[in-house]
Amino acid sequence: MPARLEVQELNAWYGGRQALYDVSLEVEDRAATAIIGPSGCGKSTFLRCLNRLHEETPGARMTGAVRLDGDDLGAADAVSVRCRVGMVFQKPNPFPNLSIFENVAAGLRLLGVRRRDELDQGVAEALLHAGLWEEVEHHLDAPGTSLSGGQQQRLCIARALAVRPEVLLMDEPCSALDPIATAKVETLMARLRREYTVVVVTHNLAQARRVSDRTAFFYLGKVVEVGPTDRIFASPAEKLTENYVNGRFG
Amino acid sequence: MGGGADRPGERFEGRGRRLRFLGRLGLVFGGGIRLLAAAVLALVVVLAGFLLANAWPAIVRFGPGFLSGTIWGDQPGGPFGAWPAIAGTLLTSALALLFAVPIGLGVALFASELAPRWLRAPLAYFVDLGAAIPSIVYGFWAIAVLVPFLGDTVEPGLSRLTHGRWPFAGPTTGGDLLAASVVLAIMIVPTIAALSREALRAVPRELREGALGVGANRWEATRLAVLGPAAPGIAGSIVLGLGRALGETIAVAMVFGGVYEAPTSLFSRGATIPSWLVTQFLNPLPGLDLNALYELATILLAVSIVLNVGARLLIRRLEAPRRSRRGARWRTAPTVVRVPAGTDSFAAPAWWPRIAERGRARRRWRAVVQGLVLALVVGAVLLAAYPLASLIETTAVHGGVAVVRPSFYTSTPPPSCGIGQTNCPLGGVGPEIEGTLVMLGLAALIAIPVGLLVGVYISEYRQSRLARATSLVTDVLVGVPTILLGVFVFAVVHTYDQTIEASAIAGAAALGLLMVPIVTRATEVALRTVPASVREGALALGFPRHRVTLRVVLGSCRPALVTGNLLAVMRAGGETAALLLTAGTSGLWMTSLTSQTGALSTFIWTAFESYSSPNYTTDAWGAALVLLLMMAVVSLAARLALRSPGGPGSV
Ligand SMILES: Nc1ncnc2c1ncn2[C@@H]1O[C@H](COP(=O)(O)OP(=O)(O)O)[C@@H](O)[C@H]1O
Ligand SMILES: [Mg+2]
Repeated sequence: MPARLEVQELNAWYGGRQALYDVSLEVEDRAATAIIGPSGCGKSTFLRCLNRLHEETPGARMTGAVRLDGDDLGAADAVSVRCRVGMVFQKPNPFPNLSIFENVAAGLRLLGVRRRDELDQGVAEALLHAGLWEEVEHHLDAPGTSLSGGQQQRLCIARALAVRPEVLLMDEPCSALDPIATAKVETLMARLRREYTVVVVTHNLAQARRVSDRTAFFYLGKVVEVGPTDRIFASPAEKLTENYVNGRFG
Repeated sequence: MGGGADRPGERFEGRGRRLRFLGRLGLVFGGGIRLLAAAVLALVVVLAGFLLANAWPAIVRFGPGFLSGTIWGDQPGGPFGAWPAIAGTLLTSALALLFAVPIGLGVALFASELAPRWLRAPLAYFVDLGAAIPSIVYGFWAIAVLVPFLGDTVEPGLSRLTHGRWPFAGPTTGGDLLAASVVLAIMIVPTIAALSREALRAVPRELREGALGVGANRWEATRLAVLGPAAPGIAGSIVLGLGRALGETIAVAMVFGGVYEAPTSLFSRGATIPSWLVTQFLNPLPGLDLNALYELATILLAVSIVLNVGARLLIRRLEAPRRSRRGARWRTAPTVVRVPAGTDSFAAPAWWPRIAERGRARRRWRAVVQGLVLALVVGAVLLAAYPLASLIETTAVHGGVAVVRPSFYTSTPPPSCGIGQTNCPLGGVGPEIEGTLVMLGLAALIAIPVGLLVGVYISEYRQSRLARATSLVTDVLVGVPTILLGVFVFAVVHTYDQTIEASAIAGAAALGLLMVPIVTRATEVALRTVPASVREGALALGFPRHRVTLRVVLGSCRPALVTGNLLAVMRAGGETAALLLTAGTSGLWMTSLTSQTGALSTFIWTAFESYSSPNYTTDAWGAALVLLLMMAVVSLAARLALRSPGGPGSV
């Protein structure tokens, strides 16, 4: 499989405190890459470096290169980077004052989609892909925040999909959800990973096994090991990884 | 609550007794603060009653015609009409809002969203300072700088441009409707900016990031994800600004000309309800009818109550989530979207390439829009900063001469001195400093504990009817124009003794009345932010409830409490209108608490009234500088208090 996203020697800081050390990683096209590791090891920071959201944190900075299809994202316009690299956050964060429809349409409107039929189609498609369509098609006017937690998270996924990103980043997308909602989002991820390049952070090892093709294990801001998910869980090369995937710490 | 004492084991005998004692103490405490809250409530009702009782004869005598009457007669018995004052109040406030809302919102947006990060903290400090500067200082600056500027430059220009057509008709004096509105706008910009900024900052970061995540630039993220959730707070800030404009007394009295006529042009002189109240209470026309004045005050009270209650309702409505899609205000039919066939594949729709192709040009256009917004917002900041900078500079330059002289702090004010007279004797504001400290001290001594305890009561017994009533009254009282607090006290004093003079005691009472609701509100809000877990944790350790409240809960929000109290002290320290009515002015060292007592703020008013005496004016600028420095120091302290670590660890 070809590498879609290449990360080279990525270092990231919050003020004087370094959160990532020389992270290099290749993310494959049309596959899901899981990032696992104990909390505080820099998984979220890594993800936020991929769509340049890291620089929005006061005092944060980064060095190194992130390339998408060979384009250096660091040199590109941050806004266009975030259109190409979509993100779903840990806590569902639909725009509180917008309806379900407008939540999904927001990104399209920013891109300049104006025609009614095009907006309708774009929104419907995104909601279909996010597996939310059947549940909301009759009350698209309701506020996005009136949905349940799991539905809100799928709304956020739809919102991200609507602008047709090339890469989808998901930061512990299920950690705020109950088991049933989690199962729905996982089913969705299983579908999305064949169409998009997905990078998903999870602290749930079983989930990483279920939804990802490749897995990277982070520890204290460094990549310890990357490889096919099966191999990482079955026969990790590193002692640290083995201890972690067998639940001996973390 | 002392429940551990139910079945004390042998070894815990002593402890059980202690717990029982603490439990009883807790009951006493609970009863005590309830009584206090009831007393505050009763006091407010009684004060309003006094006002109404005094206004009643006028209400009966003049009937509804009082509202539409256009004359304030100088014969006993009238006629008296409120219309010119009502019109003046409405016009000045409306115009002030018109100027101040865009500027205040611009400043708030800049300070919280768009400014470079290093600039945000100093900016916030200056906004706070602007909100804390007493109106007497604004008024004094306006007389010296703004009014001449408007009268000599702006108004003649406007008049020439429009050939004196409405609303730019009439002689251009600078002391008119335009000046009053501009001063009010300058004064309420910081109020609107400070509170709107709080509202914007309270929006969680995840929401902004959600918008950035779909490719919004910073301005678009603000528009999409921040303005909506902040709307109730922003609306609240505007209402508060309006309340301040409606109730502002001193600055308006200084620049609006004091003519009792409804304004017909921007260059008309006029009066507002508060400005007419203060000038009439101080320098009554010969046929002074106190009852008519009280009726005028009652109208002001009614307006401020209606505004407060209306604001509460408005904010509650805004806080409810909006049910429609954006732009659906005129579309009542629910959105129905037909899914075109074949949509479930991940292939891009036919129109997508067109959009993608235009992406770059469109992004550039969006960046231009963001740049325009930024330019507007920076313009607003400059417009807001210019008068503030001018005020600080003018006060520092004129007042600096006075405050470096040691005798400024130790002498009494100079005898007045005519224009052109040389060798004017120099004086000082020693008695005024003394008066300010004594009255402020007395007021704080009573108001801070009372305010704190009532605040505790309201938040601890949130469900009870008394607590809710007290909370509502506190809210209203915070928004009541300060001149009315003076009128309240004046009414009580005069009802008992027609001959009594203003006194330090009455002044302190008015200041206390101003401080209690501020402290109460600050306490209530601070306590609300303490997580229930802190309280439960302490209760689980077996602390009796009153100790939990007093030590743990109050302790864990101490910075916010300190800030609330400092805010109250600041407001009271610069108060002028209420003090003029209750404490009067004196110029002499204090001999007793029951005689007239000057304060720094009222001294400036005296200087304004005898503006021609240059030695007096210099000392007044000195007093203004002292007040300004006091506000600068106290608001810095308030800011630092909030930043200091105040977690439960510091209990
Ligand atoms: N906004 C921030 N400011 C300062 N430090 C931060 C911030 N966010 C994260 N960190 C620090 O960076 C490190 C990595 O955090 P993060 O990437 O969130 O970890 P993870 O997602 O793996 O739990 C942690 O030590 C955390 O304390
Ligand atoms: Mg994380």
